[in-house]
Amino acid sequence: MDIGSINDGGEGRGVPHGAALIAFAEAMVGADETALARVRQELVKAIGGAAMIDAAGVASNFERMVRIADGTGITLGEGLERFSSSVREELGLDRLRDRKGFSDA
Amino acid sequence: MKHPEPSYEHAPLPVRADFGAAHRRFWQRLQRPGSWWTSAERIAIAAETRQGRDCELCQRRRASLSPNAPAGAHDTVSSLAPEVIDAVHRLATDPSRLTKGSLRAMIDAGFTAGHYVELVSTVAAIISIDSFCRGIGVAFHMLPVAGRGAPTHYQPANAVADDAWVPMIPADRNSGAEADLWPRGRTGNVIRALSLVPDEVRTLGDLSAAHYLPNAQVGDPTARSEHLDRSQIELIAGRVSALNQCYY
Repeated sequence: MDIGSINDGGEGRGVPHGAALIAFAEAMVGADETALARVRQELVKAIGGAAMIDAAGVASNFERMVRIADGTGITLGEGLERFSSSVREELGLDRLRDRKGFSDA
Repeated sequence: MKHPEPSYEHAPLPVRADFGAAHRRFWQRLQRPGSWWTSAERIAIAAETRQGRDCELCQRRRASLSPNAPAGAHDTVSSLAPEVIDAVHRLATDPSRLTKGSLRAMIDAGFTAGHYVELVSTVAAIISIDSFCRGIGVAFHMLPVAGRGAPTHYQPANAVADDAWVPMIPADRNSGAEADLWPRGRTGNVIRALSLVPDEVRTLGDLSAAHYLPNAQVGDPTARSEHLDRSQIELIAGRVSALNQCYY
């Protein structure tokens, strides 16, 4: 998988229909209803209606998970910290943790 | 008066039955008191979650370099306490810049960490179900009518200060009434994050099983949904998390 696509969009190389899935995920997080309707149609054309429904399920699941993580101020924990270190470095995720700060502000 | 329960019967494309079933179970939960909020309060939290999108203060905060710089009052649709409304709107509209200050403000106003955890879980679930509806091109479900009854104030005895702003059950101490929360004896912090209110962990698992994967399968790299392989699932998950600027 082209892991850089997670950070900066792109084509999702190495993932079947990666570009269409990324476009759909971006439209679901965005606020442009016209764009969402367009990329939904494109995704249905690419992978079918049932898979589009599954994709909407996954995207909406992570709209929830990010709020649980951000809302409770959890840390990664020792195991995940170690397991994910190379991926985190490649994606630059620690800058987000640093910005969050875990301060009492 | 009875409002219709969530249904995808008239969706433009067929929707797997387990989505509708999980969403109906969540709606039914909203109609019962939680551990810390009444049904009416839980539904008010859900309504404020939706209201955040149209709140003028929230829009100015999102556009500001510092979310605390813009002054003003939230556009509200409920009689919830101001500290509660502020936490709900911030979590709904600008989660990555939420700080422990929202929890502290609620504690100072007389609420508990349990109230806060149940609030986080309720906001996150409504956002998820609404996002799913928007994604597949159907209208949001009408919120239910509140049921009666008082919150239980149940708090697991083994929840302790841990790797979060709120107390959690240690990964290896989910015993007794909480033994079902992560039966294999270990789980990620994002699951434990809600364990101060065990029913919210159960709700999380119920919704995740439909939207993503059953919790027991998350660690299995070969696990997949009915129509997407694991690489497709994780590409979507990663991109949504990155766009939300989530460090986790």
